[in-house]
Amino acid sequence: MKAGFRIVFFKEMRDILRDRKTLLLMIVLPIVAVPLLLNLLIGFVMKQEEEARTEVLEYVVFGAAHAPELAKRFAAADGFEQVSLGSADELAGAIREDRIDFGLVIPEQAAARLSDLEQATIEFHYDNASASSKVEERVGDMVEAFNEELTAERLAKLGVSSSRERKAVLKPVRLEEKGTGDLREVIGDQIGGMVPYFFIAFCFMGVVYPAIHLGAGEKERGTLETLLLAPIPRHQLVIGKFLAVFSGGIIAVLLNLASVGTWLAIKAGEFRGVLGSLIGAIDTLDLVLLALMLIPVAAMFAALLLSVSIFARNSPEASTLISPFGIVLIVPAVLALLPGVELNWFWAWVPVTNVSLAMKELLKGTMDYSMLLAIFASSTLIAVGLLFFCAKWFNRESVLFRV
Amino acid sequence: MLQVTSLTKTFRLARKKRDSAERTDPRERGRWFHALDGVDLGVQRGQVLGLLGQNGAGKTTLLRILSTSLKPASGVVLCDGEDLTRDPLEIRKRIGFVSGNTGLYGRLTAREMLRYYGRLHGMATAALDERIGFLSRRLDMERFLDQRNETLSSGMRQKVSIARALVHDPEILLFDELTTGLDVAAAESVLQVVTDCRGEGRTVLFSTHHMDEVDQLCDGVAILHEGRLCFEGGVDAMRSETGESFLDKAFLKLIRPKTEETQ
Repeated sequence: MKAGFRIVFFKEMRDILRDRKTLLLMIVLPIVAVPLLLNLLIGFVMKQEEEARTEVLEYVVFGAAHAPELAKRFAAADGFEQVSLGSADELAGAIREDRIDFGLVIPEQAAARLSDLEQATIEFHYDNASASSKVEERVGDMVEAFNEELTAERLAKLGVSSSRERKAVLKPVRLEEKGTGDLREVIGDQIGGMVPYFFIAFCFMGVVYPAIHLGAGEKERGTLETLLLAPIPRHQLVIGKFLAVFSGGIIAVLLNLASVGTWLAIKAGEFRGVLGSLIGAIDTLDLVLLALMLIPVAAMFAALLLSVSIFARNSPEASTLISPFGIVLIVPAVLALLPGVELNWFWAWVPVTNVSLAMKELLKGTMDYSMLLAIFASSTLIAVGLLFFCAKWFNRESVLFRV
Repeated sequence: MLQVTSLTKTFRLARKKRDSAERTDPRERGRWFHALDGVDLGVQRGQVLGLLGQNGAGKTTLLRILSTSLKPASGVVLCDGEDLTRDPLEIRKRIGFVSGNTGLYGRLTAREMLRYYGRLHGMATAALDERIGFLSRRLDMERFLDQRNETLSSGMRQKVSIARALVHDPEILLFDELTTGLDVAAAESVLQVVTDCRGEGRTVLFSTHHMDEVDQLCDGVAILHEGRLCFEGGVDAMRSETGESFLDKAFLKLIRPKTEETQ
């Protein structure tokens, strides 16, 4: 005869996998929705950046005659279109109403100051409340290029003509940065704290529905009572159910990781700049190690949520009781984001936080692999403890026949 | 046979209920609710005992104790001379339980569900398939045996429930309000199963609110009122003791003095 827990496990898996809601949460969501969301999000960010960079900026200049060279530069540059406006007083209103993107006011004395080798000031009016706007950067670049030309001219007049001399005059001392953290480390530190949170959330989501279905769902359907009469020890029943819920979490995590991994492999070449190096910093081994660390986390969630679920009278009550755990979970995950919280022998024993920290280290490429053992040991111990509690819980009449 | 002696069962009262000034039920004493209080009864092999009582009288609690899903506070239940609480796993193999509230796994077919319970009872595949074939013929379940339970009517579902309770060939059957919510034809075929079980020499404990079922099926009757046994005897004794020919009236007479006493 097969061990009781195996009979229960196989039946529960069959039951879970026949449910559309579970399939949607556990399988369709990671395979279809996650890459789609990533695509949309990254595509949107890149498109916004591209648009802000190439969009034609409409501007007005007052006092163009006082710095004609500068005015000409703007007029000749791609992506800028001069329009007209009544007076400089209308600038703020026109920018607010989106009639123009920016305005330059060149004062009368600018011409004299420029020719006298003094510094001229030009007013630059724009909407500085828009974070995604590239107006400041693009106008700044134009003025910077103009400045460089003037600087070269002025220095030449002073007898400084070679570019080496020019550099020496403009910046007598240069600070050469020799940071010990490589780019991967810097980026890993920035996003490493966020990534685990998403995977921990996926893992939680994968566990929730099977836990509700196999705990409170049994009470609701009236099948719990008949199941309790099966001649198998209660702990076997709990282990069978636990393994099914745990598998739900593992399937969700693996599918999410595989989905993200495939997406990264296909899309890696498409990204440039910071985004590109950020994505390039993650490799397959990291994803495998991430999955390994999430195994005991899934076990903890499975035992915990199964205990909560069997306490509830029905599925809606189980959902209500379980939802606060989703929020509470954020706390240990966010702890890993706090400055000064590093993976050490203390934090290695704090559940969820330890996994978040380890994922951060993995992404940074600075993992101390001996810590993995402590993380595995602590998560597994807690999972076993919770499972033990769950088995005890399944023996209490006040829990099973709660009215 | 099944022998119950001085059986009691208490449940801890919720704090709110405990502190409430209005206590209408005499079974609420201190921190406890006495659901069963010194119940004695016996059912012989091959007999059907009808368990009667108003809602909340303690019938389901008694059946749950006999099925081993609840533990008694005190008292003894002997199943063919063996103490029920001593080795519940072994006793469970001899017991089949169905109630009006027991449900089915909607996403499994009737056959899958019967296989699941058969395996949990340690049955080998060949014997199990043979038993499922036999039960499905007997309960006229063949045409829906491979349909998902969620698509079945109430009558079909109750047949699956009964087949589930019979799959491991138990000696003792506990039926709790078996025909609740069924139409006449479905109820009739379900009751036929009870008759057949008796014919096969099984011990049946059968709780119901329908006196015609009692008249038709039961060899003996036990009436529970507020957790205590107030009558045990034959159907004829019920009539002669009360002087009523209708069992409904006889039942009400048998519990009424008790109701008046407790008020």
